[in-house]
Amino acid sequence: MSEKSIISVLTSSPATTIGVLLVTIHLLSALLAPLYVPYGVTELAGPSMLAPGSPGHLLGTDVIGRDYLTRLVIGGRTSIFVAMLGALSAVVIGGLIGVSAAYIGGFYDDAIMRIVDTKLSIPGVLFVALCVVGFGRSIPVLTIVIAINYMPGALRIIRSQALTQVPLDYVKCARLRGESKLAVIIRELCPNVMEVVVVEFALRMSSAILAVSALSFLGLGISPPTPDWGLMVYEGIRQIYIAPWLVLLPAFLISTLVIGLNFATDGLANALGLDAARGLY
Amino acid sequence: MLTAVLRRIGLSLLILFFVSVLVFLATEVLPGDALDVFLTADDLLVMEPEQIEALRRDFGLDKPAIWRFIEWLSGAVTGDFGVTFIDKTPVSEVIWDPLLNSLLLGLVITIIAVPVALAIGSTTGYYRGRKPDAVVSSLAIIGYSIPDFVIGTLLIIFFAVWIPLFPALILVFADASVWELLKVSIMPAITVIIGHVAHLSRLLRAGFIEAMNCEFIERARLSGVPEKRIVFRHALPASVIPSLNSVALFIAGLLNGLIVIEKVFGYPGLGLQLIEAVDKREVHVVQAITLLGAVLVIGMNLLADLSIIILDPRVRSHKNE
Amino acid sequence: MKNEKGKPKKEQNMESNSGLSRREFIVGTTAGVITLSLGDLLLPSLGKAATPQKGGKLVYAGSYKNSKHKSAKNAKHPYYGIEIRTKNTYNQLTWVDENLNVVPEVATAWEANDGQDVWEVTIRQDIQFHDGRPLTVEDVVASYNLHKDTKLGTSFAKKLVDKVEKIGADKVRFYLKTPNSEFAWNMAEYRQVIMPAAPLEEMGLSGIGSGPFKFAKVDVGRRVIYEANENYWGQGPYLDTLECVNLPGMDPLNGYLSGQFDVLASVDPSLIGQLQKTPKTVIDISVAGDQILMVLPKYEGSPFMDKRVRQALSLALDREGIIRIVYGGKAGWISNDSHMAATNEDFLPKKPIRDVEKAKQLLAEAGHPDGITLPTFYYAPYVPEITRVLSVAAESVKAAGITMNIEERPMAGYRKWRVEDKEKTRKHRFAMGPVGPRNPAMNLFRMARPEYNESGYWHPCAEGDTYIALYKKAMRTGDPMARRKIYHEMQRLLQEEVPAIFLTGRRETIAFRSNVHGLKAHPQHWSMRFMEVWKS
Repeated sequence: MSEKSIISVLTSSPATTIGVLLVTIHLLSALLAPLYVPYGVTELAGPSMLAPGSPGHLLGTDVIGRDYLTRLVIGGRTSIFVAMLGALSAVVIGGLIGVSAAYIGGFYDDAIMRIVDTKLSIPGVLFVALCVVGFGRSIPVLTIVIAINYMPGALRIIRSQALTQVPLDYVKCARLRGESKLAVIIRELCPNVMEVVVVEFALRMSSAILAVSALSFLGLGISPPTPDWGLMVYEGIRQIYIAPWLVLLPAFLISTLVIGLNFATDGLANALGLDAARGLY
Repeated sequence: MLTAVLRRIGLSLLILFFVSVLVFLATEVLPGDALDVFLTADDLLVMEPEQIEALRRDFGLDKPAIWRFIEWLSGAVTGDFGVTFIDKTPVSEVIWDPLLNSLLLGLVITIIAVPVALAIGSTTGYYRGRKPDAVVSSLAIIGYSIPDFVIGTLLIIFFAVWIPLFPALILVFADASVWELLKVSIMPAITVIIGHVAHLSRLLRAGFIEAMNCEFIERARLSGVPEKRIVFRHALPASVIPSLNSVALFIAGLLNGLIVIEKVFGYPGLGLQLIEAVDKREVHVVQAITLLGAVLVIGMNLLADLSIIILDPRVRSHKNE
Repeated sequence: MKNEKGKPKKEQNMESNSGLSRREFIVGTTAGVITLSLGDLLLPSLGKAATPQKGGKLVYAGSYKNSKHKSAKNAKHPYYGIEIRTKNTYNQLTWVDENLNVVPEVATAWEANDGQDVWEVTIRQDIQFHDGRPLTVEDVVASYNLHKDTKLGTSFAKKLVDKVEKIGADKVRFYLKTPNSEFAWNMAEYRQVIMPAAPLEEMGLSGIGSGPFKFAKVDVGRRVIYEANENYWGQGPYLDTLECVNLPGMDPLNGYLSGQFDVLASVDPSLIGQLQKTPKTVIDISVAGDQILMVLPKYEGSPFMDKRVRQALSLALDREGIIRIVYGGKAGWISNDSHMAATNEDFLPKKPIRDVEKAKQLLAEAGHPDGITLPTFYYAPYVPEITRVLSVAAESVKAAGITMNIEERPMAGYRKWRVEDKEKTRKHRFAMGPVGPRNPAMNLFRMARPEYNESGYWHPCAEGDTYIALYKKAMRTGDPMARRKIYHEMQRLLQEEVPAIFLTGRRETIAFRSNVHGLKAHPQHWSMRFMEVWKS
């Protein structure tokens, strides 16, 4: 794609390096979680509740005696999974539709953009609230809801990028060669908007993580007893005066992951010459 | 140009219509209606199904959805948003005070956030790639990355419980005076600003950079115009146009943030009213508030687009999307 | 008409407990060893026996949202007010006290006929409404005409009261639609207040009542401010201003800690330890409170059609563990698989409380030798600790091989969701519902409706019919001791058949500043009274 090597892109500035490092640590610990968590997530392991760290429980126990380290790590898995899958779907599906709208144009393009505008005019929280109340708080529902929520925004950005590509020569050549419209979209245009897609994915994922945790905090997200960082913040707030780590640890983890993603994306976008800040809504 | 303006306005109205249809459909899917919320468990214990159906007829909840939608829509275009199901209060009465409260909060946020973001954005844009840019940008990103409910909760603990500067829970009456509202709106406003000013400043930074890269800036510099004058009298004004879109998007994005923040702090605004209306299945209220929000967003976008069409002779259409 | 004098002393034999302090009473009714330190139950009134001081303002965070409350038009109406704690501004004929005994209020005495369906009630003569008018028998009759009105009235009165008439300057006669030997408790229902006589559509809108406080200002959906009624007929009130804040799902703890509130109602049990350590804070734990009911849906294909599965689930739950882990051993009580509260004198404890081996054996008999996976159990956050209760419950039944996954639903639309679509499937979900503590008749009535399929209690069966027949008999029985025998039989039936499982009971707990006196926690959070409260 570009001449720079991936490593140099990823370490183009101290902030970017830190970001990439943070993201890697989070992803690895989430991936390898089942290998090293000492207890089950719902296991009432301790006789003691709200106990601070001890050899048996490195980060102590929560208010009903479950091992906190286990819940933190597994909580990350859930949040990351939902956010990642949701953002990925949003960007891939939105991207495909966006590119096709840019290329095909005309009424199809207009219609798609009107739908996008409609969705963007409805506050995301309301949309999610309605869906959750209607369909329940399961992980599949949340993932789909997140995907639908971010699709219009991603669609818009990718379409903008595709629009700059459409009038270029190589596209016309491909058509003249006899390629079908679909082939042009997939084989010619998509690879050339990949950079924007990657940046969009990272941005959407960081937004999604914040969104999932905010929803869990409001009682609209992941259902207990599945651990989730936002949910753990919500559950821990009552004990914040006597056991502040119940709130601060998950909040810290959410923040570091999002910071990591944002730093990394920033650096990536700068190195690729894109303006990462455009159209984040 | 007139056709372009009219076309934009027409499109906006179309979108508004779609929004109302979408929201109506969405609320129809919800389990239960206003009556189910109204009746307590004890009521259900002693009532016969026929009595419940009779009540449903009384409240007008048994009419088919299409009918209710058309009735509501025909009222809405004249500003009559219907009445609440349970006690027939006009919706406009129900949402009037919360609307003003939210507008006040939004105003406070915008008045503080926009200049701050502009300052940060132009500074980091000016020193692009150098240390000040890196440091400030990083700080801004950190502010943006911490969940706003965490910031809000911590603020409450620091400045309400430990240092009793502000009330921990906002208990002002919905029809309180502007002064009382201002006092309690500080903490919610700060929470939103910490989160969103970073975003806005990065958008404004982009606009500023674009403006600084323009030819006439280069020419001015070559002619010996002092840096300060270039920045303040040429670059900043020139960056307004690409920034309009961003500011419009920012204001539109405030809506989302307001809902969460109002819930966390208990600020008696439209966001809180919306969540309550969803809970109570007052469909008319939900629709009215959503429509108002959509009007705001669409209006902001329209203003931004129109001002670009009118102000900028080189309509950079593909960048406006 | 002479079988029963409506005086509480004879009626229920509860006054024998007046010798016991509340602390001992609580220890006596819970299963298991519970140590209570004096600091937990510091009853201000037992302390210095100080004289109440007049004046001051009390702010309390309300615990329950009245779903009927919507707007300013009728915010003072007893049905549609912001809180269901109507006792601040209104009075009822009787009051149910903190031990769930019925005591006189507007009524001084009551008597039923042999059939328990005609009741004569004597009314106090010295009560004045807030506007100075005396409360007369006509007002009582008019109020109950509203309460029993099919269109405008309130559910319990509609169902129960057929006619009300004045039979003297101070006597009223109630004709009931069905016999109800515990009608005296029904008279205390929070909506059945006494208001000045007026046309039915206008009654209650003015907010004029006979209670210790008057409405001063209402902020729809959020706050009510009351001021003292100087001419109150009873004791007190000592406070000048009383304010109730009803928070839409927000955590009042910060409000209390920062000084915004003086009283916290319905305290989350996990906060009790924390609040005890907070300076100048007193905790009061009442004798009973809501229960959490698990609905066991019964239809073709549901695992709960088999009685052995229901019994196994009931035996596998670690109720003592729930009390220990979630309620700190103090703020909860063990249910007996009926709607009865442990503090009701007619409560029949369930034995054994837990038997995992028996549960496994029952499951094997029912065809699940390797354990069983139940449908997803749904719940909504009716009480703050519910998530923890269910997490512990779900973990505990694993010991018997039962897998129970839980999922939280938002409060909005929960009840409809739980009941499913009656027209299409009549299937009720495996879900929880809250149960408030009341008198035995009301408690046990909840399972006595033959067509009460809303929560899928009884599948048509002989045992269900027996239960209902027993209930009807109890309602015709005037003698409380004879009723108790019937109630015990009904509870034994419930414990054998397990139509529903009652997971745990909680104790209504309040926390307040140490300069607040005379306030007592009440198992029915809506019945807490503020008239004797004063601040030093």
